[in-house]
Amino acid sequence: MGLGVMGKTVMRNLFGKPATVMYPVVKKEFYPTTRGSILYDESTCNYCTLCAKRCPSQAITVDRAEKVWRIDRKRCLTCNFCISVCNKDSLSCVQEYAAPVVKEFDSWLFQAERIAGEKIEGLEGQEGFSDKDA
Amino acid sequence: MGKRTVVPFGPQHPVLPEPIHLDLVLEDEKVVEAIPSIGFVHRGLEKLVEKRDYQEMAYVSERICGICSFVHGHGYCETLEGLFQVEVPDRAKFLRIMWGELSRMHSHLLWLGLMADAFGFESLFMQAWRLREKILDIFEQTTGGRIIHSVCKVGGLWRDVPEDMLKKIVETLEGMEGELQELANVFLKDYTVQKRTQGLGKMSAEEAFECGAMGPMLRGSGVAMDMRGLGQSGYEHLKFDPVVEQGGDCYARTNVRIREVFQSIDLIKQAIGLMPEGSIENKVKGSPEGECLVRMEQPRGQVIYYAKANGTRHLERFRVRTPTFANIMPLLNMLPGCDLADVPILVLTIDPCISCTER
Amino acid sequence: MSDYLWILFVVLYIVLAPFIGGMIAGIDRKITARMQGRYGPPLLQPFYDVLKLMQKENIVVNKHQKLYVLCSLIFIIVAGAIFFAGGDLLLSIFALALASIFLVIAAYSTYSPYAYLGAERELIQIMAYEPMVILTIVGMYIATGSFSVTDIGAYEGLLVLKLPAMFVGFVYILTIKIRKSPFDISMSHHAHQEIVRGLTTEFSGKELAYIEISHWYENVMLLGLVYLFFASNPILAVLVLVATYFLEILIDNVNSRLKWQSVLFSTWLVAFVLGIANIAVLGFLKYFL
Repeated sequence: MGLGVMGKTVMRNLFGKPATVMYPVVKKEFYPTTRGSILYDESTCNYCTLCAKRCPSQAITVDRAEKVWRIDRKRCLTCNFCISVCNKDSLSCVQEYAAPVVKEFDSWLFQAERIAGEKIEGLEGQEGFSDKDA
Repeated sequence: MGKRTVVPFGPQHPVLPEPIHLDLVLEDEKVVEAIPSIGFVHRGLEKLVEKRDYQEMAYVSERICGICSFVHGHGYCETLEGLFQVEVPDRAKFLRIMWGELSRMHSHLLWLGLMADAFGFESLFMQAWRLREKILDIFEQTTGGRIIHSVCKVGGLWRDVPEDMLKKIVETLEGMEGELQELANVFLKDYTVQKRTQGLGKMSAEEAFECGAMGPMLRGSGVAMDMRGLGQSGYEHLKFDPVVEQGGDCYARTNVRIREVFQSIDLIKQAIGLMPEGSIENKVKGSPEGECLVRMEQPRGQVIYYAKANGTRHLERFRVRTPTFANIMPLLNMLPGCDLADVPILVLTIDPCISCTER
Repeated sequence: MSDYLWILFVVLYIVLAPFIGGMIAGIDRKITARMQGRYGPPLLQPFYDVLKLMQKENIVVNKHQKLYVLCSLIFIIVAGAIFFAGGDLLLSIFALALASIFLVIAAYSTYSPYAYLGAERELIQIMAYEPMVILTIVGMYIATGSFSVTDIGAYEGLLVLKLPAMFVGFVYILTIKIRKSPFDISMSHHAHQEIVRGLTTEFSGKELAYIEISHWYENVMLLGLVYLFFASNPILAVLVLVATYFLEILIDNVNSRLKWQSVLFSTWLVAFVLGIANIAVLGFLKYFL
């Protein structure tokens, strides 16, 4: 029952810095390759509905006649399949993922500006909600 | 002769990582019989092939399990490449090996942490997971996700890894070796840990082979069987021997897994050293047809993938036989005769990944 | 001790011991967390926990559970009060044993398999540490000539110089009493284990709060017993207390949990070797020299 084998590690931890991060007070640093959320560019989209057909979790709905593009962020897996099938490059990936939700559940909850009361760069003016109930 | 009580172990139990139910018949803290029931996490993923075509099914396949997620994606893509009879370029093969070995390392470190937690040693649990974070950071920097990688596609890979990233990976792994050795010392040389693991769940080589044990369970009893030695998907270029121990008890299996972590670091260094330049994808067109069977080595043992297609974009049948399913039988053989205090250690020594077992 | 001073000590104990015990528990959790490489909860977390538990719903399995838990709490307070009033040490230790038995009966009365196993293991624990505690008291009697806490506390000279092996043995079993690895077989403070929460599986709400508070009272009393070994030099005694508790936390973090056979065996070995050796040497010195 010696102290020696694990004792060194334990004492080093005691006098060193903790390994954990005080999230959400301290924000996590994302890497450039992190798959966070999907960013939609309305100007280049031609409403071909390919991304909606291909999405594995059926999170995207496109209305060709009305020219409306919607994504249900609760269903999106950020697998980036839609980005690879889009031939107009209107979709791209953003590193930050949606912050933890602090308000009551409401249908406009997942609009980009309203996530945790903060605006996320690049996601302003996005259609971020689905009118189908999950 | 004591009174017999039946203690329900699971499906919700603080020491189990995944829900499995065992009805333990006890006689004064000694287990006499164990009756299992599984099926708490069945999600019907194999039936989903009827709704998702073969390219989207890759994303479903890697979500069968969180710990062994890369191997499931890799296995699915290899099976379909067998159906299309298309060969993946060499660079893609080596990158897949690198990610597969990183996956093995993180799975074994996770298991070491859970094992420490099962015998009440939380500081060791935290230390093992602290080391595992470095590997998860490597995953996030190269594939974009910590657990679900979404990087294998039918015909190759979605992403490439630049040269400086490869160098950084080798540096990180070499930096980890010192702390890994300290962790290994605690598991193998500490007195209280030895008292809890030595002599427990002993299985001879014949017994292990007969009841269908896989992976480190088998290699801990002295049988040298490793699917990476089959010489496919790029492993034929690497030099290694399967890690084998002769003890047959929980201590030997812990030793096998620790040595496999070090072996994986060596394999990754070899793979990065041999990595050729070139494309990472061989485009695949049309619809699959025929049948294909692929065997691979998951961190937990041998996994078999079978796919059958009939010329449409949807597969007809996709079946996965995971190693934990085969390892439940040795568990039921080891349980009678042990103390109740040993049950979590025995359940964890087979490395249960129940979400793989019931897709 | 003068006639009315003991009333003051008893009242101080009953009022202050939960706060002192809670602070010790909070510091314990913080140091344990830092040893494991995390930040740890705020220092007052045990108080927040107990206050929240008081507000929770009580899902009672059996009407009599509450009575047994309350009896356990009351007898721990009585044991500590007798100790700090300067009374008879033997009576105080046996009252503590009675309180532990009440807790075991409370766990048995719930008919749950996990609580049943935890209660059995708690009985084995009691069987493991009682010999050492009784040998300690006998040793103190032989060294000072009295069972009363007042007389032992007023003894001139450091008691530990006459009872060194006894002190080592007592610290060994202190690990069991304050529920730390490698001996926390029945109800560990932070680890989850094969018998779910062991002894306290079926308690919730106010009862669990009472059990937590009774642990705080017990800890203060045990630390008082360790203090007795160094009673003539208060500053040294407090330093030794701090060092001993830190040593317990360190031992908790570098060991896994042993099985009950190992606990029973090793504790009896320590008790009989260290305890009886010390008493034999003391007795020899007193009666033949």
